[in-house]
Amino acid sequence: MKSLSFYIHNLYQNQQWLDFILYLGLGLILTLSLMSVVALVLVYAERKIAAHFQCRLGPMRVGWHGTLQTVADALKLLLKEDLIPKAADRFLFALAPFLTVMAALLSLSVLPFSLSATLSNMNIGLLFLSAISGYGVLGILIGGWASNNKWSLLGAMRAGAQLISYELSMTLSLLSIVVLSGSLNLNEIIASQAQGWWIWRAHLVGFISFVIYIISSTAETNRTPFDMAEGESELTAGFHTEYSGMRFAFFFLSEYVNLFIVSAIGSILFLGGWMPLHIGEWESFNALMDFVPGPIWFLLKTGALIFLSMWFRWTFPRLRVDQLMRFEWKFLLPLGLINLFLSSIIALGGFYFFP
Amino acid sequence: MNQESNMSANSKTDQSASALAQVPIENAKRWPDLNYFNKIIYGASSLAKGMKITFGYLINTKTVVTQQYPENRETLILADRVRANLIMKHNENGYHDCTSCHICEGVCPNASIHVVDRSEPTVSKKELGYFVWRLDSCTFCNLCVMACPFSCLEMTGQFESSTYDQSLLVYNLNQYSGATQNNLAKLADDQARTSAIKAISPYEGPVALEGYHLAGIPKEFLPQKSDAKTSQAREGVNP
Amino acid sequence: MVTLNDRISCHTPNQDGTTTQEYFINMGPQHPSTHGVLRLILKMDGETVNDIIPVLGYIHRGIEKKAEAVGYRQQVHLTDRLDYLCALMNNWAVSAAIEKALNLEVNDRIQTVRTIIAELQRIQSHQLWWGVFGMDLGAFTPFLYGFRDREKITEIFEKTMGARLTMNYFQPGGMMYDIHPDFVKDIKEFIKYFRPILKEYEDLFSGNIIVQERLKNVGIIDAQTALAYGATGPVLRASGMPLDLRKMQPYGAYSKVNFTVPVGTVGDSWDRYQVRIQEMYQSLLIIEQLIDNIPDGPHMTMKYAAKIKPPAGRYYTQMETARGIFGTFFVSDGNDRPYRMHFRTPNFNNLWSILKMAPGGRVADLVAILSSIDLVVPDMDR
Repeated sequence: MKSLSFYIHNLYQNQQWLDFILYLGLGLILTLSLMSVVALVLVYAERKIAAHFQCRLGPMRVGWHGTLQTVADALKLLLKEDLIPKAADRFLFALAPFLTVMAALLSLSVLPFSLSATLSNMNIGLLFLSAISGYGVLGILIGGWASNNKWSLLGAMRAGAQLISYELSMTLSLLSIVVLSGSLNLNEIIASQAQGWWIWRAHLVGFISFVIYIISSTAETNRTPFDMAEGESELTAGFHTEYSGMRFAFFFLSEYVNLFIVSAIGSILFLGGWMPLHIGEWESFNALMDFVPGPIWFLLKTGALIFLSMWFRWTFPRLRVDQLMRFEWKFLLPLGLINLFLSSIIALGGFYFFP
Repeated sequence: MNQESNMSANSKTDQSASALAQVPIENAKRWPDLNYFNKIIYGASSLAKGMKITFGYLINTKTVVTQQYPENRETLILADRVRANLIMKHNENGYHDCTSCHICEGVCPNASIHVVDRSEPTVSKKELGYFVWRLDSCTFCNLCVMACPFSCLEMTGQFESSTYDQSLLVYNLNQYSGATQNNLAKLADDQARTSAIKAISPYEGPVALEGYHLAGIPKEFLPQKSDAKTSQAREGVNP
Repeated sequence: MVTLNDRISCHTPNQDGTTTQEYFINMGPQHPSTHGVLRLILKMDGETVNDIIPVLGYIHRGIEKKAEAVGYRQQVHLTDRLDYLCALMNNWAVSAAIEKALNLEVNDRIQTVRTIIAELQRIQSHQLWWGVFGMDLGAFTPFLYGFRDREKITEIFEKTMGARLTMNYFQPGGMMYDIHPDFVKDIKEFIKYFRPILKEYEDLFSGNIIVQERLKNVGIIDAQTALAYGATGPVLRASGMPLDLRKMQPYGAYSKVNFTVPVGTVGDSWDRYQVRIQEMYQSLLIIEQLIDNIPDGPHMTMKYAAKIKPPAGRYYTQMETARGIFGTFFVSDGNDRPYRMHFRTPNFNNLWSILKMAPGGRVADLVAILSSIDLVVPDMDR
């Protein structure tokens, strides 16, 4: 509190408040528009990729190859009647989608798209991200409870148990990168990968941590094979069974924004974020790579991870809820702990490739 | 569960037990139960195998099987036996073969056919007035076509029959009320033939909607007047 | 004895003597994995299913009653609407019952073609089941692969029969049309296409560790219990009893072909899954043996008459469809309409085995079990 009042006092003293408001407003608009663009693009991409996995064509009618399909869907959802079940808790029912979207929005604001294009370059960026991602489950829990539907409640409870469990191994895998790079600041973590990405620079440790991260992030975003919370064939639609129209769209939106966020974090921590691809001594190749701007690199890497997640989703069946828990507590968590231990040894000894 | 215990459980009926024992069986394949570490290795490899298959389909665009229906009308090949629409065969002069014998009406399992005799026959004793066919309740079982002694009915593959109004799915299959082509051929000239028949549109005559004409419904339960709303909708259409 | 009152009480004691508040939840009539309008009332303790009360009747159409109002020739068309995935096998069972009543011997061509088509239908039904099974376990992709391959058989059917789902093709005394000239060629092409695809099914889905974990030792039922509930078909065979009418009372051309009956060893969902997969291989074998030597002859042995009047008496014929034994029983009083028509449908009896399979499992297990029984709801309610 002291630092905050100090900060506000400083703003008045130096006549920076106009700058501050401007920065805040601009940031908000940028993040919001980024969020909707990300969701629109990802929904379209998912539908197209899923279709081709399944020997189909996917949306083809609205716009060229169905490119405007998601826009049309969003419009439809906006115009739909706003339904709240009679027995639902009206206030919480209305609140839940906003909580989920808010969590997504907050995480989006700290992602570094390049060294300069970073909305908020926090020195505790990674800690902030993991804190916010834990807060996203609140919306799901409240939504499932407020619907006053047993299927929704089951879905919400599953989501709660699952997200809290997988948060552990996700944080462990993040921690090993923090140990290796020695910072919580996302830009500094990227900068520490100038010699090589953490996925392969730290022997096997980085890779194992990447695998753990991918698995637990898939669970975090509630996607198949870990889509317990929705479990379409089991719980009809899980926590959002009773939601329709815009409220449903908010859940849907935050799901895809979360997918983008976890993939972005993955690309920042393991694949060097906005850092171009450099291969050892190939000077001319490296110079060519440097021409490609940072945000493009960042989006490419994030896109690759998103594709991986979609690939999982359209190949695997769903786990059962107890198997899911067993997998986390008996396999991922021990592995994560061992991995963290090994990464500390590597960090202390400096046994990197290209030190 | 082994085979012997089943056999003994069923020993009451020796005959069927021995018949069961003679059936050549093969056991359902069962992947062995693995321990913790083998399961991890096997699991990872099995997941990778599945991902390889789906990726193969993703990159090979030739595997797409989607047909884009309204656009591919020209290239759409339907088998010639496809049953999607019932028509009454008319020859090149526009005459049919139906003698109004009501056999098709009798074999239709869901009363989709309603044959009405012409009230004032001109050439023969009995002439077809209206051959009412209800597409909305037809199941395309082909029994009417098989039953017709004069082969004057035919199933075609013309499947685009959707409308916005159910009453528009009730057709007259015959293009005119009158005698068969054989009987008409006995007449002197075309003029006599034309005067002996009465051309009708697909949406004329009685409406067999809402199950009124289901077989076996007593007369007193049938509505006295035709439904005003229905006939209005039918009048609005220019066939 | 457990009364309904006990079953609707929400305080079943646990094994350690404590009681937990149980709750009821309606699975269905509108639920994605009940495959239609089956309603299951579940008594649950958290995620664990403690009791199941199936409620039927949401798609009751009175087909058996309607059968009394229409003639024998029209019965075939009604059976299309029972188990629509085995429409042709149902057609065959009714046609055979009427032929039996009329004391009519059909020729070898008809028998062979009927057998080939029934086996194709079995493959088709299993393909759809495989796809839906994948979807119930949460993998959407197998669903479309299953439908993609099912389309190949549907096209063969469409060429020969002119319809895709409710064919009404087998008639008393033979078939509606003769087979299409391309029939043999198309089927050979299909077999060539489908064998590698079946391998692919196994790589994509059967071998998958998640599938194994979800299915193994889930929903176990032993052969005696399954038989007591009246279960037939793959559900019974997965419990280890090789009850297959194609072998035990050979009809059609089944006595001329060599094939084996896949049986399970444990009686869990996995066995029911694997039995069906292996049945597809066996069906391919049967078709391969028959396709090259279809005897010549007419496709209809009975002169067409709008009305069929079997002599008075009771007639029963049963056949092995993709889901179990489909029986047709009718009482004739010598008229052109049956006095009573009854269908012994496999799904109705298979359903009740979930009462033994599902309690104690999770909701997810129940979904897998329901899917492994392969229910078609219109077949239960009739």
